Amino acid sequence: MNNSKRYRRSLAVSIIGNIVLLLVIIGLVVSILGVVLFTESFKKEYAVTTYHMADTATALINGDNLDAYLSGEKTEDYLLSKGYLDSYCDKMSVSLIYVIKVDRSDYGRFVSVFNSVNNEVDNTSYTAWELGHKRDTTNNEYRRKYEAIYSKESAYETVYRLKTTYGQHPHITTMVPVKNSAGDVTGILCMQRPSREITEARRPYLRSIALTTAALAIVASLVTLIYNRSQFIIPVQKIKDEATRFAKENTKGEDLGNISRIKELYELAGSIDTMETEMVTSIENLKNVTAEKERIGTELSLAQTIQENSIPNIFPPFPGRNDFDIYASMQAAREVGGDFYNFFFVDDDHLALVIGDVSGKGIPASLFMMVTNILITDRTNMGGTPGEILTYVNKKICEHNRADMFVTVWLGILELSTGKLIASNAGHEYPAIKRADGLFELLKDKHGFVIGSIEDIKYKDYELTLSPGDKLFVYTDGVREARDKDSELFGTKRMLEALNEAADVAPEEILRNVSRAVEGFVKEEEQFDDLTMLCIEYKGKGNGGNDD
Amino acid sequence: MLTTKKSIENGTAVFALEGSLDTFTAPVLEEELKTVMDGLTDLTFDLAGLDYISSMGLRVILSTQKIMNKQGKMKVTNVCETVMEIFEITGFSDILTIDNGNLPDRT
Repeated sequence: MNNSKRYRRSLAVSIIGNIVLLLVIIGLVVSILGVVLFTESFKKEYAVTTYHMADTATALINGDNLDAYLSGEKTEDYLLSKGYLDSYCDKMSVSLIYVIKVDRSDYGRFVSVFNSVNNEVDNTSYTAWELGHKRDTTNNEYRRKYEAIYSKESAYETVYRLKTTYGQHPHITTMVPVKNSAGDVTGILCMQRPSREITEARRPYLRSIALTTAALAIVASLVTLIYNRSQFIIPVQKIKDEATRFAKENTKGEDLGNISRIKELYELAGSIDTMETEMVTSIENLKNVTAEKERIGTELSLAQTIQENSIPNIFPPFPGRNDFDIYASMQAAREVGGDFYNFFFVDDDHLALVIGDVSGKGIPASLFMMVTNILITDRTNMGGTPGEILTYVNKKICEHNRADMFVTVWLGILELSTGKLIASNAGHEYPAIKRADGLFELLKDKHGFVIGSIEDIKYKDYELTLSPGDKLFVYTDGVREARDKDSELFGTKRMLEALNEAADVAPEEILRNVSRAVEGFVKEEEQFDDLTMLCIEYKGKGNGGNDD
Repeated sequence: MLTTKKSIENGTAVFALEGSLDTFTAPVLEEELKTVMDGLTDLTFDLAGLDYISSMGLRVILSTQKIMNKQGKMKVTNVCETVMEIFEITGFSDILTIDNGNLPDRT
């Protein structure tokens, strides 16, 4: 975070920085190009002017007499021409005018005929060559150009010395042919002219380019800044502020609306406005949904309390009785469920045992369960065998059952003094029974149809006798049908194994063993169905009945 | 998961169920049945591929049986052992017409 922060700069600074950088680059390119083009055209123009001046100077001398001058004395004619050239040199502000005759064998040497010097014009210190002064050609460039003049390849030649070299000031030297009356080239007139005008003329040109560029940079930066400020920077700032505000307050702010002519920003602002509206709406919805959920949650937890307390859930339930030991548990997959167990005394010697399972889950199942449980309890207390009771309950439920729900019920009434158990099974799971010296096994009892569906069913009773030490275990299909992650069923076989793990322990332990086995089997899978179990151990009359 | 293959012709329908008829799939089957029950006189549930049925599934079978009692006949065929056990425990085996003739003898 710190690293990136160091490189952050404001939008305005980076925009202006970029523009200035761009303009400097453009200015540099324009200046270099301009200077090169300017210098070239100025050089050309300067050379042409100098050529005209030199050409004019040739008219001041007589090309026919050069050889005569060199072989004889300084005639009157020579002195006259020399005088013209001197004053021309002065008037034209050139440094040197010299007329030479070049050795045409290799153009490597020449002899001076005339030489006028004007040291004032360029602050030089030349000494004029005397007539007949001999010199070697300065270098190959001169040699080549002398040859071009003599052979009439070009009307004039120019040598540029635009930088200060060998202590000489910048200058150009223009060479033109001196011709005799027959038109032959008899010598070369060279004119050396200071060229500082070129460099001098370049300076204001460069300055103007630099100034123009700078001015343009300032103007462009200002214009861009002003435009960007209103259309880009301020809108971006506003969007940023609004987004920050919204993140903090979560309320709809003023519409950003038409804040920029830049399409993307305009659309971004629109998106933020839309987003805010939608977020606020969904936050509102979420609040309502949450409130609704809380309300339902509260109701469900109340319903759960009511359901849990509609059946005996305090153990031991009959602390005074030693002739039997009972334990039961109900574990709904959701807050409320359709499973139930129940046990209660019909009279002092008869204990009713009920376990039931309503089709389906949740609230509908729990309502159905409550009705069924109450009907069974009430009817049992009126007397009769389990078969009679279930027949009645079925008839009652069928009268009002429009939802085609049903409930499976096992109902037994145990005579505690004798151990005689009369039971009836309405579509419920097989009970498991353990004789005192044996293991739990399924009791494949007589089955009737489920309750609540077909009105005129007559449920049958069956009878068995429990001896002291015998145990009876009843359960709902949530036990048998618990699934592991591969959807495999827990099954009756695993249930019997869990029961027989320690078949001799008390009912509470028996139930705990089965619960543990089911949990170990399903592991992380969600509990899918209600899980209800009841176990009773008959201890018999010999063990005391009431504590008397 | 439940896959239903159905063929309906002249008031006769065969529903072949495959998978598990439970809390989640039973309502789907119920909706599907609702759309075809009108005028149906002969309905067969082929349960060869059904390996589990929950009480919610039984409820759908029961409702359908009640409707068919009024307007025609209904039978259930090719019931596997697990499902048959559930039918027997709940007493459904007594009220349904179960035809396992097509299955190999399991004695």
